[in-house]
Amino acid sequence: MNALSIDARVDGIAAGRRRARALRFMSTFLILAVVVWSIEAIVIADTDWNRILTGSLLSTMQRFLDLDWSLLPDLWEPALETVLMATLATLAGLVLSIPVAWLGASNITPYGKTSYAIGRFLMTMSRSVHEIVWGLIFVSAVGLGALAGILAMAVRSVGFISKTIAEAIEDVDPKPLEAIRAAGGTKFQILWFAILPQIIPVFVGNMIFEWDINIRRSTILGLVGAGGLGLVLFRQMAMSNNGGIAVVILAVLSLIIFGEVISYYARKAVI
Amino acid sequence: MQTVLEVRNLHAGYADREILKGISFTLNADDFFAIIGPSGAGKSTLIRCVNRLVEPKSGEVIFNGRDMLKLTPAELRGERRNIGMIFQEFNLIERLSVMDNVLTGRLGYTGTFRSIFRLYTKDEIKQALVLLDRVGLGEHIDKRADRLSGGQRQRVGIARALIQNPKLLLVDEPTSSLDPKISREVMGLIREMAREFHIPVLCNIHDVDLACDFCSHVIGLQDGVKKFEGPPAKLDKQALQEIYAMEVL
Amino acid sequence: MPAKQLSEVGIVPSAGVMPTPGSVPPTWSRFRYPQSLYKYGALLGAFAFIAFALDYLKIPMDRLPGMLGRMGEMLARRYFPPNVDHILNAEYWHTVVETLQMSYLATVLGIAISIPLAWFASFNMTPSRRYVYPIARLIIMACRSVHEMIWTILLVAILGFGMLPGALALTLFCIGFSGKLFSEAIEAIKPGQVEAIRATGANNLQAFIFAVLPQVRVAWAGISIYTWDVVFRAATVVGFFGAGGMGQYLRESVQRVASRDVAAILLSIVVVVIISELMSAWLRTRVAKAIA
Ligand SMILES: Nc1ncnc2c1ncn2[C@@H]1O[C@H](COP(=O)(O)OP(=O)(O)OP(=O)(O)O)[C@@H](O)[C@H]1O
Ligand SMILES: [Mg+2]
Repeated sequence: MNALSIDARVDGIAAGRRRARALRFMSTFLILAVVVWSIEAIVIADTDWNRILTGSLLSTMQRFLDLDWSLLPDLWEPALETVLMATLATLAGLVLSIPVAWLGASNITPYGKTSYAIGRFLMTMSRSVHEIVWGLIFVSAVGLGALAGILAMAVRSVGFISKTIAEAIEDVDPKPLEAIRAAGGTKFQILWFAILPQIIPVFVGNMIFEWDINIRRSTILGLVGAGGLGLVLFRQMAMSNNGGIAVVILAVLSLIIFGEVISYYARKAVI
Repeated sequence: MQTVLEVRNLHAGYADREILKGISFTLNADDFFAIIGPSGAGKSTLIRCVNRLVEPKSGEVIFNGRDMLKLTPAELRGERRNIGMIFQEFNLIERLSVMDNVLTGRLGYTGTFRSIFRLYTKDEIKQALVLLDRVGLGEHIDKRADRLSGGQRQRVGIARALIQNPKLLLVDEPTSSLDPKISREVMGLIREMAREFHIPVLCNIHDVDLACDFCSHVIGLQDGVKKFEGPPAKLDKQALQEIYAMEVL
Repeated sequence: MPAKQLSEVGIVPSAGVMPTPGSVPPTWSRFRYPQSLYKYGALLGAFAFIAFALDYLKIPMDRLPGMLGRMGEMLARRYFPPNVDHILNAEYWHTVVETLQMSYLATVLGIAISIPLAWFASFNMTPSRRYVYPIARLIIMACRSVHEMIWTILLVAILGFGMLPGALALTLFCIGFSGKLFSEAIEAIKPGQVEAIRATGANNLQAFIFAVLPQVRVAWAGISIYTWDVVFRAATVVGFFGAGGMGQYLRESVQRVASRDVAAILLSIVVVVIISELMSAWLRTRVAKAIA
């Protein structure tokens, strides 16, 4: 069997383990070195600790806790606006997603590799750009207001919705598809009768998920002038009314919890 | 002979379903017990009650002179070091090497800080190497566990249990995932090691023939009740019928 | 009710469609009572809702037709050509580095915090289901439910302008994001390996290191890279609310209504985000191969 003595083999193994450990240390050290560099820039060079520590910190926090409840009656309408914006945006996102998913699903894409690449590119673009950026683009295109916010969210939703639809389409059971093709069905009939029924469950679940996220997004899109609770928040910030900011944020949180409850039950109903 | 494990009137179950309904037996040094019985009789539950992977409802499990059921969590960990366990599904850490898998058997003896950096002593490495040579895996120490065959995996499992220097070996259906030839090899290896290191064994086993061939003593379990206890020679057709009553029906 | 055609009630397959032998009658046939009633009712409700919402939000429907064209024209007129000079200077590049630093620190710190948090918040591995589990879940939920930009606004208000509030806001966001995915990965592990390690007398931490980490390693690496993507994307815009990085420039140009500058900055943001996505896609395949 083994020519080497047992002790020699143990030494070899121990040396190997030491090397592996050194390698692990090295990579951890590398990660930490970059962390130190970042901390130096962020926490030491860029932060005015003097100002933070000489009292302003506590008093600012205190002003946040001094809630300005007088704002509350004026929050209902913006809150409803926020919900409506999120819902419309999700629906619009769905409408926009259908052609994108059609292009980006490898088994039904109409013009082979080219259209597939276009579909995938659109998905990536939609996901890669933050909703604030989309918001700024649309505000300057269609002016301040709910429409800009809805468009921004819709475009931002396309990435996720179309990607999951495309994946669901790629996973579709090919048998009904072949049956319809064999019976001489048109492309549209294949889509409508064989693919659609199979992907609807995935689809509804993801729409609810995206709606939930859009509620979150719509609360901040107001910051770029798109109406709803975010706009109220922006105004309170401009007035630097910290008590008001806190109240609006609480309102946003309750809206999000409300959204989560709704989507929980909606999902349960679907599944 | 010295008593290693004594189980008295053990009751156990999951949620409000009672699985074990008062089991008692005594395991002495150098015993090789087989627990046989139909599927769902509670064999695995019984074995897991010994090292409290399953919390029993009542009864006593006297191991090493102490009632396992009365130990604090820290004491329990200390006592678990003395009990090696071999599993049906091997339960190796699939992404670790064979060597590292065997060394996990020493975790109970390794400080938390040392274990974070996988720092084992040279003695432990040597012990692992000797054991791996003994189970016939000396050539495979650097292989990842999920690259091994079923029989090889169970051999790693045996080495992992033995490196604990256990005073008792719990074995839960070691061969159900293996083919008949490998099964006999693995059972033979377990018996050989148990004899060599004088470790008593408590072994669940589905296959009555294997039980009779390798074990010194048989316990027959049916629906959480002990229906038979004695040497394999006494395990006649009538006794078997009683144990497997449900399956015969 | 008018007499239905056989094909419509699903007794006979509709034109052009043959059922495969032995299959159940097709369920998608178009008219069926009362499901069809529910369906059309729901559809009607949906349209009514959309009409109400459009009206409530005062969305100028009359401007919608041809909007795309006008939008494109407007964008072209105002934003084109992007003022590239505005961003081709050392100062701007410095903010790109700042963005990198913020997102890096936030991701590493956030993931470092997420690891124990995810362990405590996984139902199967948590040290205590009564106390630790709900607290850990609550922390993750709280981080998740506040949008990262709201964290930024809050922290900027408390700590003042600078990179620190940005990095902290992104850290909180990262905890909410990766913490949830990490704990879901832990909940999917095989329990047998944990039992085997516990049976050797190992403590909770050792069981976590030796039975859980090896099983979730690959999934966690993927999640971490994904988290980095998302955090970096957010880091490019936190500056818009007063935290550091590229977003500062965006804020300043938007306030000056310098559209060409804004266009250049937006373009640069898209470019760096896409570069980072390409890099992480490459990293993902490398890592998957290295540790699979
Ligand atoms: N974790 C658990 N939770 C709830 N019930 C369980 C659990 N583990 C086992 N049971 C139930 O307890 C009963 C006994 O299980 P046990 O695994 O002890 O049987 P066994 O005799 O080992 O059977 P087998 O030969 O199939 O391994 C079974 O009915 C099983 O469904
Ligand atoms: Mg069993």
